[in-house]
Amino acid sequence: MTNTRFPAGLFTRLLLSSIFLCSAPMAVADNFSAFTAESFEEIKSSFEGREFLLGLWSVDCPPCMVELAFMAELVKLNPSIPYVLVSTDPINQRDYSAEFLEDIGMAEKESWIFADSFVERLRFSIDPNWYGELPRSYFFDSDHAMKSHSGIVSEELLIEWFEKTLHFR
Amino acid sequence: MYVYKLKQMMKLTLTKIAAISLLSIASTSIAAANDCNDTGPSSPVSVHCGDAPSATFDNRGRLWVAFVQDQHVYVSYSEDLGKNYSAPVAVNSEPENAEYNGENRPKIIVDANSNIFISWTKKTSPRFTGEIRFSRSNDGGKTFDAPRTINDDGLFAGHRFESLYLTESGHLYITWVDKRDLEASIKRGENYSGAAIYYAVSTDQGASFSANYRVANNSCECCRIAIAPHGAENIAILWRQIFGVTTRDHAIAVLTPDGTTQEMNRASYDEWQIDACPHHGPTMIQSKLSGDYHMSWFTNGDLHQGIYYARYSFDEGQPQHVFRVDGRAGAGHPHLGEYAETLYLVWKGFDGQSTNLSLIKSIDDGASWTDPGILFSTAQGSDHPLIVSGNDGLYLSWRTQEMGYIFEKITANEEVRPGD
Repeated sequence: MTNTRFPAGLFTRLLLSSIFLCSAPMAVADNFSAFTAESFEEIKSSFEGREFLLGLWSVDCPPCMVELAFMAELVKLNPSIPYVLVSTDPINQRDYSAEFLEDIGMAEKESWIFADSFVERLRFSIDPNWYGELPRSYFFDSDHAMKSHSGIVSEELLIEWFEKTLHFR
Repeated sequence: MYVYKLKQMMKLTLTKIAAISLLSIASTSIAAANDCNDTGPSSPVSVHCGDAPSATFDNRGRLWVAFVQDQHVYVSYSEDLGKNYSAPVAVNSEPENAEYNGENRPKIIVDANSNIFISWTKKTSPRFTGEIRFSRSNDGGKTFDAPRTINDDGLFAGHRFESLYLTESGHLYITWVDKRDLEASIKRGENYSGAAIYYAVSTDQGASFSANYRVANNSCECCRIAIAPHGAENIAILWRQIFGVTTRDHAIAVLTPDGTTQEMNRASYDEWQIDACPHHGPTMIQSKLSGDYHMSWFTNGDLHQGIYYARYSFDEGQPQHVFRVDGRAGAGHPHLGEYAETLYLVWKGFDGQSTNLSLIKSIDDGASWTDPGILFSTAQGSDHPLIVSGNDGLYLSWRTQEMGYIFEKITANEEVRPGD
């Protein structure tokens, strides 16, 4: 499996800049909200005028494990990163997904899980050009212009987003 | 006679086929599907309420279906081509987490002596670990042996996406995606991309299996493996393989009963550079006309985007007649079948409102194709479509939330086999 390493600089920037973001961590055992065809708009509304990162994953996706472990380290350093997780696992198997997030220390991050077996419609509601490959990430700027990425999110993409969008230095 | 009827069949528009199919299922499955409760365990156990069904015919024309419901693999049969089903029999008496999704479903084969072979993947934790499970029935599906684990490494590691195939010679193959080599590499502090392809063979109707044989390192971790015959006792398999660092295209190889892999080669050149799980495995059948291999798959590569078809010959070693089946967003999960020298390809698409199940045909071994027609449409959830071969034609096997389990003939009724 891919070894993921960060430059020390990124961690430092995250630590120093955490003060610029308001933090609202939640603490519930299973933190999942049901993701329906309307949820994506709901998420965007909750970040109105603000940047955020949407991370799609599933327990069926080994590369997602690498990405989530990577992101968990960042979240631990700065719990207020505007990062929203969406699991594409079916909601009736939420225990598996919850256990997974618990294991990697992401149980308290804002989290959604697919709640409609018509998954094509859920995927379409986010992006008609997403074929279901995972992990899939969407970077939103404050105008909610969207940049997508398939596969493990790269250090370069994250640094670019943190620097340019969130003005981390 | 045959040529005339084939021509007649080709005249029958796909719309008409769709209309016939939709009419015939209306009375049966929709009512059955309405009994299912998608969010709870209170649904009756049936092919209509269970998940991820696979189907096959026995040599008497009886339809057999395996599916997953409430942590059990179940088997049910139908004497009337899917109108009515027998009471489902549980294969595993103890509940276990049998995987069920479009890419990973229980498999079922019935041999000429009515032995029933079932395989599935048992999830052993949320971290992609699993075991390859196998069970059989020697009494025509009344009872099943206690499930056995086929991967022989004893590791709490990933063994998933199994496929099952019985050759003409009676060799029963199980292939799967295996992470033992990844685990070993991690222990040595080395990098390892993806997983590996392994297989095992039974020469005694599933009573015992060979040791596990490795086919290839660095396969994709999360796509189904397609199997087709290669001579009487070998098989050809097609799977998504990692070429170079992140290129997830396809590889093909011949597997033999003694554990040797032959003629391994690259089968698709799409240049899909992705460090991710596409969850889109290929489909493959052997051409009765040429003996070549018909392949179809999804890609979103630099060279190709969408669903593709190509014909592969081991002599040529190159994909030929490469054809873009559907390049629209939302298209995926193709499945191939051949009957009366006509090739059928079904796949799913999504137009923003509905999932449409489309069909194209080729009467020249994949060199050219008809325009697509829509077989079914649903505004609710659905499984990947499968084509099942019967003595008198091809059938669509497709579980939908709205209509329940659809098992419908997709070849026209007036078709006859060559020589009939």
